[in-house]
Amino acid sequence: MTIIKRQDGTNLKIALEGRLDTMTAPELEKELNASLDNADTLTLNFADLAYISSAGLRVLLSAHKVMSKKGGMKVVNVNEIVKEVFDVTGFADILTIE
Amino acid sequence: MNRKSLTAKTIRSTVLSSVALGLVAMIIGLGFYGYTLVHQYITRAFETAKLASVSAQRGADSVALSKEIMRIYRSLSEEERNRVGTEEYRQHFSALESVSKKGGAYDVLVHMLRTFVNEVDYVYLGMYDRDTQALVYIVDSDEEEPLFPGEWESVTKQGMEKFLNWNGEGMLYDIDNTQKYGWMCTAGFPIRDEAGEVCEFLLVDVSINSVIRNMLKYALQIGVGLALATALIALLASRRIKKAVVRPIDAIADAAVTYVRDKRSGSDCQDHFSGLNIHTGDELQNLSQVMADMERDLAEHEQQLTRIAAEKERIGTELSLATQIQAAMLPHIFPPFPDRTDFDVYASMDPAKEVGGDFYDYFLVDDDHLGLLIADVSGKGVPAALFMMASKIILQSVAMLGKSPGEILTKTNEAICSNNEAQMFVTVWLGILELSTGKLTCANAGHEYPVLKRKDGGFALYKDRHGFVLGGMDGIVYKEYEIQLEPGDKLFVYTDGVPEATNLEQALFGTERMLSALNACPDAATPQDVLEQVRRAVDDFVRGAEQFDDLTMLCLEYKGPQPKEGDAI
Repeated sequence: MTIIKRQDGTNLKIALEGRLDTMTAPELEKELNASLDNADTLTLNFADLAYISSAGLRVLLSAHKVMSKKGGMKVVNVNEIVKEVFDVTGFADILTIE
Repeated sequence: MNRKSLTAKTIRSTVLSSVALGLVAMIIGLGFYGYTLVHQYITRAFETAKLASVSAQRGADSVALSKEIMRIYRSLSEEERNRVGTEEYRQHFSALESVSKKGGAYDVLVHMLRTFVNEVDYVYLGMYDRDTQALVYIVDSDEEEPLFPGEWESVTKQGMEKFLNWNGEGMLYDIDNTQKYGWMCTAGFPIRDEAGEVCEFLLVDVSINSVIRNMLKYALQIGVGLALATALIALLASRRIKKAVVRPIDAIADAAVTYVRDKRSGSDCQDHFSGLNIHTGDELQNLSQVMADMERDLAEHEQQLTRIAAEKERIGTELSLATQIQAAMLPHIFPPFPDRTDFDVYASMDPAKEVGGDFYDYFLVDDDHLGLLIADVSGKGVPAALFMMASKIILQSVAMLGKSPGEILTKTNEAICSNNEAQMFVTVWLGILELSTGKLTCANAGHEYPVLKRKDGGFALYKDRHGFVLGGMDGIVYKEYEIQLEPGDKLFVYTDGVPEATNLEQALFGTERMLSALNACPDAATPQDVLEQVRRAVDDFVRGAEQFDDLTMLCLEYKGPQPKEGDAI
């Protein structure tokens, strides 16, 4: 998985490429822990994310909880497979997905 | 390999350097010795020539004598000159009064020059003739074989010109290896007439044969001395090298051999190198020190490895115990309710690691209500297993209170959220089947869609309504839905390890393949048959790929209320 980070003032944009699973989720968690303090809003671009597992969902949920106290978090460009996971797990109702 | 060339190499290099050094010293020494001595001889000859020239001018009219003799010499034909040494030739000059007369210039000069011979070999007067390239003798003081005035000898042009063109600076001399006299140094001083023309030279010969001979003797002596000294130095050096280099190296090599042998035989001797006692104060001592350090470090490293291996084994043992404990937590005796004929249930859980985060459960809440659940904790391994244990116990405790599935999930979510520092969550599908009526009340907390098979139909996804995962968010109320089961219907629930099983090409097994596998089962297949069929399909698909996620399945067959024994039909 590749993490492409772009900070635009207090707006943090992160694009993910590849698979967000048990092996790669800690990488994203570390990156978010380091970056979220300086961000008011978080946009996750999932255009090139092929797959998300429950470990990945856990990281998203943590980030969602942190950002909901600030400017919020949204997930954009979600593909069908990932959308399905969001639907099944109920994340679609919790997260802001555009 | 037994190589012993270090001593030989040392001897060779010592001999070579000694010989080279000796040769250089000898050449410098000889050169200096020769130069000094020859210079001394030249000085003596030149000083004698200078001194004698003064006497020769004052004591007699040597200039006039020279002029007369040279005039006669030049007047001779070549043929006449070539008769030099004969009586006939001498008569050309003995006719001169100054030569033949007792007490004449010649007579006076011979006697005078003889007084200078004590420190040199020959003292004589002569003049060079450019035309014939010859030295013409005027007066020779030699007592044994004196040359007669006018007699001549051929000379080299170079030597002659050197004398004739001397500008008065330094000393006038020439060194030549003659056939007659051997190595000879000739020094000279010109005598001029009143007009300043050079008329003759006072010449002094000194033999330097003895100098050359002495130098050769000296060289021989040095050579012998050098050979002896070299042999001695080489001997000492080889002894020294043996003591200072070869023995320590052999000791280190022996220690290394013993070290390897002891290691193989399992001996725990640890002072192969530290016990060497090498105190040469140089690189060899460093080497033995480094080897001793290495032995110690290796021993420590080995101990550490042993510790790590032991630790690993301990963890392995603990994990295998944990696997057993976790497996024992899940109902695993089949058939689970051998006396129940109204339903059949079968389930399996295969963790990807030693312990997993998936679980299933089924239990009779009361005689008419069967609880069924399948769940998947986020992540894998030990953290997921610990979270799974807590979730499972809470779920079952709440379920046993006889609440509805929605209430059970809502309560469980609250309980989990109150203590969820790690922010983990679990997806749960929960159903409670009223066995007498076939009414299945379900609630889904973010879990995969169940698969339902009606009696005469195929397996198909049942797209139920989903709530959020358990432990994800506080205060969520879970809604429930109902499915009316008819006898012969089957329900299949699973975790994402089934559709997301991945093969070596990174392709997912997928829901479609799962449904195909399910539908490949004959209608009469038992829940156990169904699970085994799906498992086979998954295994065929992934082939050699490592199982990546926990793989858990549960299948229920509802058979409907059965007449009990003794009941009237």
